[in-house]
Amino acid sequence: MKFVRNSGVFGFALLVAILVALPWFGPSPNAVRLLFVTFVWVTVSIAWNILGGFGGQVSFGFAVFYGLGAYAAALAVNSGLPTVPALLLAAGVALVASLVIGLPTFRLRGPYFAIATIGVSEAVRVVMTNVSLTGGASGYRILETGPFRQLDHFYISLALAVLAVAASVQVRRSRFGLALIAIREDEDAASDLGVNPFRAKLLAHALAAALTGAAGGVYAQYAGFIHPQGVFAFSIGVAILLMPIIGGVGTIWGPVIGGVVYGLIHDELVASFPQLHLLIYGSLLILIVLFEPAGLVGLLDRSFGILVGSRRIRAANPQT
Amino acid sequence: MPPILRLDRVSKNFAGLKALKEVSFELEQGGIYGLIGPNGAGKTTLLSIIAGSLRLTSGAVIFEGRNLVGTKSFRTVRAGVIRTHQVPKPFRALSVLENVEVGIRFGRRERSAGDPQDAARILEWVGIAHLAHNSSATLSVGDQKRLELARALAARPILLLCDEICSGLTEAETACVLNLLRKIEKGGTTILYVEHNLRAIMSVSRHVIVMNYGQKLAEGSPEMVQNDPAVIEAYIGGQASADGRQRRPGSAACG
Amino acid sequence: MSATDLLNLLIAALLLAGVYAVMSVGMTIIYGVMKIVNLAHAGFLMLGAYFVYELYTHLRIDPLLGVFLGFPVFFFIGMAVHRILVRRIPISDQPTLTSLLLLFGLWLVLQNLGYLVWGNSDRAILTRRTLDVLQIGPIGLPTVRLVVFAVALAALAGLEFVLHKTWFGRAVRALMQNNDAGRIVGVNVDRTARVAFGVGIAFAGAAGGLLAMLYSFSPDFGGAFLLRAFVIIVLGGLESFAGVAIGSLILALVETFAILALPANYQPAIAFSLLVVALVVLPGGVAGLWNRRRRLA
Repeated sequence: MKFVRNSGVFGFALLVAILVALPWFGPSPNAVRLLFVTFVWVTVSIAWNILGGFGGQVSFGFAVFYGLGAYAAALAVNSGLPTVPALLLAAGVALVASLVIGLPTFRLRGPYFAIATIGVSEAVRVVMTNVSLTGGASGYRILETGPFRQLDHFYISLALAVLAVAASVQVRRSRFGLALIAIREDEDAASDLGVNPFRAKLLAHALAAALTGAAGGVYAQYAGFIHPQGVFAFSIGVAILLMPIIGGVGTIWGPVIGGVVYGLIHDELVASFPQLHLLIYGSLLILIVLFEPAGLVGLLDRSFGILVGSRRIRAANPQT
Repeated sequence: MPPILRLDRVSKNFAGLKALKEVSFELEQGGIYGLIGPNGAGKTTLLSIIAGSLRLTSGAVIFEGRNLVGTKSFRTVRAGVIRTHQVPKPFRALSVLENVEVGIRFGRRERSAGDPQDAARILEWVGIAHLAHNSSATLSVGDQKRLELARALAARPILLLCDEICSGLTEAETACVLNLLRKIEKGGTTILYVEHNLRAIMSVSRHVIVMNYGQKLAEGSPEMVQNDPAVIEAYIGGQASADGRQRRPGSAACG
Repeated sequence: MSATDLLNLLIAALLLAGVYAVMSVGMTIIYGVMKIVNLAHAGFLMLGAYFVYELYTHLRIDPLLGVFLGFPVFFFIGMAVHRILVRRIPISDQPTLTSLLLLFGLWLVLQNLGYLVWGNSDRAILTRRTLDVLQIGPIGLPTVRLVVFAVALAALAGLEFVLHKTWFGRAVRALMQNNDAGRIVGVNVDRTARVAFGVGIAFAGAAGGLLAMLYSFSPDFGGAFLLRAFVIIVLGGLESFAGVAIGSLILALVETFAILALPANYQPAIAFSLLVVALVVLPGGVAGLWNRRRRLA
């Protein structure tokens, strides 16, 4: 068990080392962009999984944190803040938002919570579309302060993704992670054993939101221009939850795999089969729910007996 | 010595249904107290209220001198009141050992570092150590009930609320669990035990409280209660009188 | 604001409430009987709209007739969906996330089907009726809205009849109140569930057709209405039809009168905010209470 767990981390470290060294091999700007996008998606996928996978609280509303992070970072950079503090601000804004949202909504259970997050997400989008301070529907531009250095963004997004993985591993192995899983499995029984479900959910939400907000900030700095229809779109919230579910909800590497698959494939998919990506994701979701709740990780486990960094694959079920 | 638990006219309404009507009694520290009554008498409701899983409509629950009313269940756990569930609620994705870990790391008043030996010892004590690494979802009913007990014990209860921990078990398993309860009580824990199996509860309790239709019907020693005409009437068919003598089920080998 | 304006707004709200009610009834039935939150409801609203549209554009069938034709068509589609998908997942007496995600996936698929067949441009149904206004004194009532309202009422009345006068209706009401007890007294739960699901989808399709007579639509048409349906069934009481009527009225009134206070841009946010408020303030309580009651079982 320990060997597998550690070999998973070791394998990951190796992968990171390769990625860090990648620029020396002269990849095309497009390849770098693809990887950048993938790192951003992996980050938010892992983030969502902390609340939704470990904690079992399915939120459709993570676009709120992504978008708020994007706008916060953009505003910060335009006000003169350097990159990293701007990202910290983005994370902070998203974190505060998660508390504001979580306080009322975590009193709801399961699907009611999920539905409430849909409502919140859309309400925020509509509001942001109309707030003129940030450009409203026309969007907001980050002022150019120098030449575009793609590799800088590459490394920042990679660093954030690695941070997300580390956070996820740390949570899973900690007392906090145990609380989240207990809550997911049976919130009442968890409470009857001394777990404070409300506080645990708020914490998980905050951590997930901070990571997602930072990812939004990273994206904003790369894109240079953001608008509500883009960063606050319901489809972003959907994508954020699809990735860990497809990869393997509730596991450590599932969200990573899901993020990688989505990041690498999504653009291709939309380009080659522009008409079909919803169909594909919807069908995948249906198939996963019906036949393999543990997602790709579960499939790997069944086909090759590989435990990809988690001891029990059936840990993953997003049931009641 | 003041009573460890005092219920003062506890009532509970569910949108018009009066589940509990001004129930009052006291428990002294130490000892096993039985709580019996026909189906629907309100026993589990009462237990849930004491544990904090359910909010009462009026009255007071005083534990060690403090009023627990309004406290959520995770806070009553900190105070030392731990419950088991009538229908076992294992954390299905976790192993048997990990289930107990939850009790250890969250249920105790002193923050526990999570010594893996601790959980193993508790499982040993309860008799399911051989299942430690099994998924808790695959346990038999009897073993699930023992896991309930193990989890609750892991939290080091001052007052343990047992909800039908023997229902659905064989004679041998029941005897086993009753022995465990006796051992727990000897360790200083007070136990309030709800049970349908009257023989079991009579053999192990020093004091019995009888409920019917949400009210306390009678209380007293097992002999007194068994011979109380009101109690006998409440159990039509008189199960209470079917076994006039006290019998101690033999301690069968456990686990 | 004059009395006439006020009256106009009230009537507009009332007419809107009727439409909202028939739109939400489908979800309520499915939720009540199976505790499934049918996110694909939005997809079927959309399909219902296109169904009526196609019948009108290609076969010159009056949209109203199209709505009535839609009922049986979507009923069978609903039963098929139940047999192929819904039947395979565990149902409990609490809504599950599995069912939520399954039907969400179905919604995505339906949306895509819509895009594939009809593209993403807006369509609308324009008949002679569309621009007619019935004048009663100072009040102007758009004929289309009146017609839709009337049909909505008829449909709801029909549903009430079915619920109270047929075996199916009795079975549905039994299951909505207590699933296990229903099973025990011999209600064929699986068959009732399938029929209930069919009826729910039938209402979704029909409602979509009615909505198509009032609004323009595109494949992501259902989304905004889906949220409104949530607000309604949550505001009015998750498991009762009288509740749907009340919820529809409240939402319609709030939306109609909010125009006085809020700029039109923020209008969509009303339903969303009301949803969150309703979930948290009301059934946060009711559902929570329901939850606790179940915990003792």
